[in-house]
Amino acid sequence: MIRLENIMLRQGDFELRDIQLELAAGEYGVLMGRSGCGKTTLLEAVCGLRTVAAGRIILGDRDVTALPPAERGVGYVPQDRALFPTQPVREQLAFALVLRSLGQAEIAARVEELAELLGLGALLDRLPDKLSGGEAQRVALGRALAHRPSVLCLDEPLSALDEELHDEMCQLLERIHCETGVTVLHITHSPSEAKRLAGCHYRLANGRVESDE
Amino acid sequence: MSDSGPVGFRVASDKPFLIGLGVLGGSYLLIIVAMVLADLVFLNYADQPLLGNEMVKQGRHVDSGVTVVTEKGRRYFFRAGKNETGLRSSGGAIFGTGLFTATDGEVTLLAVESGRPVTASLRPEVRLSGIAVTNNVATLTTDEPHGLLWGEFIRVSDADAAGWDGVREIADTTLHQISFALDSEGAQAGSLGLSKPNPLVQALRSRDIRFSIKLSLISCTLTTLFSLWVAVPIGYVMSRFQFRGKAVIDTLLDIPIVLPPLVVGLSLLILFRYMPEWLSDFVVYKWPAVVLAQFMVACAFAVRTMRVTFDQIPQRFEQVALTLGCNRRQAFWRVIMPQAKGGLLAAGTLAWARALGEFGPILVFAGATRQKTEVLPTSAFLELQAGRTEGMLAVSLIMIAAAAVVFIVARTLGMKRIFA
Repeated sequence: MIRLENIMLRQGDFELRDIQLELAAGEYGVLMGRSGCGKTTLLEAVCGLRTVAAGRIILGDRDVTALPPAERGVGYVPQDRALFPTQPVREQLAFALVLRSLGQAEIAARVEELAELLGLGALLDRLPDKLSGGEAQRVALGRALAHRPSVLCLDEPLSALDEELHDEMCQLLERIHCETGVTVLHITHSPSEAKRLAGCHYRLANGRVESDE
Repeated sequence: MSDSGPVGFRVASDKPFLIGLGVLGGSYLLIIVAMVLADLVFLNYADQPLLGNEMVKQGRHVDSGVTVVTEKGRRYFFRAGKNETGLRSSGGAIFGTGLFTATDGEVTLLAVESGRPVTASLRPEVRLSGIAVTNNVATLTTDEPHGLLWGEFIRVSDADAAGWDGVREIADTTLHQISFALDSEGAQAGSLGLSKPNPLVQALRSRDIRFSIKLSLISCTLTTLFSLWVAVPIGYVMSRFQFRGKAVIDTLLDIPIVLPPLVVGLSLLILFRYMPEWLSDFVVYKWPAVVLAQFMVACAFAVRTMRVTFDQIPQRFEQVALTLGCNRRQAFWRVIMPQAKGGLLAAGTLAWARALGEFGPILVFAGATRQKTEVLPTSAFLELQAGRTEGMLAVSLIMIAAAAVVFIVARTLGMKRIFA
């Protein structure tokens, strides 16, 4: 579950105030809005990368407003994916697990599982600069899902992909959502994407979030 | 026709701009290359003959020349001056500079214009007149003053006994005598050849310069390590964090770059007058002062480089790492530093090169004591002061070689990273 209560965010002159949003556990929520309206800023606040000036952020049954990003249990896929350039795919998938000091066998098993879910089996030893756009996107998803977060935050995950990949990736997102039961907050400016994926639609405009039923 | 609109719009050619860039950049590169080549070419790498005193007396040319008395069969070194075309003897004429063997009792300097001063130089080659050995010390007597000093080196060649040939350090010398130690009790040599080793050999053999090479290499390496140790955190903080007073710190960081190096040294010297006595005793005019003086300047350059390096790594990487479970320290070490390796190498190379060339602050803060605080630039300065341009150039070549080696190593390591 994601619940935002009276969130206020400030960045220079830009301000969002009294943001309310509620997404039930296991839902697929799509937040739409024009570029520059603060979607990414809001997503960063959920991930803990930006401090909120006021309000509360509740993930699951925890108030995470004051928690560092590492402790929030979120998976974050930024728009530019930000795959670590010096690490092969296998290390990226294992990154969150190594930090949690899991055993080697456990990590290997989880990486295997992720590779299967995302079709990355053949790519495990590649470096990010040798991946295509779609492959890089799947690795970024895998990396964010590795530690079984309760919330997955996707920042325009499909914007840089061509038509065919776009459709493939939509199916993949649906499957991931279905198989893992993770709560997804997906932001986009494409109405077709929203229509196809979303269980709940939200629209961020004029500094407010409205729910489109 | 008067207004053709956007259809007729054309952009000026990029060529002049590109050519301008090429010419400016190219001329700069050309000067750099020419500079290094000039250093390499200027030195005479051949051993030089030992020469006696000047034989041509100051005077003026009468008629077409001046006669100088020579010894038949002896070798002489001739250098033509401003008013001489060459020299004539019964065996023929020579022009310009070089050694020749006298075939007659006299030679005539050939003047360009009668009545003008003589500026040519004629010096006899020094010959051995006696060899004596006592307690493994050889003492050579020469028929002409040899001009060598204590601590210089001499090359012994073509000796007719074992254990004599090689470059020897002169242990004692008078006007007509040279003494040096022999390796072991060997046979007495009856004849041998003497020459002055080329300046590079002289420099590399000199105990003072050997010490300064060692001190330079060690202090530069220490300076580089300290610089990186400080530059990485400062660069990271300046690149990632916004805080009050950042502009002031930014300015402070540039001070060592902007300040005249000599002033950096003087400021350090004065600063240490306020330090506890044991500390200033340990540092000032000792080797730690060398490292500190180098560090003050080199570190500023390393900081600049590291800051640019971190600026070029997007913050997104850390953000993702944070959501995956890293704290800031882990994100830095696991995600950022591996990407900053190239910049680290660049900063290290730059700091090393700056430290190698540091002279002014070291002179002021550490002094120029031989075998104590003498680094390579100090050696070059001391050589120049002693009137040995060739020695200075030889030391410069050692510095060029050291810089080149470090550069090539850094480049090779950098390449490996790129092609891995």
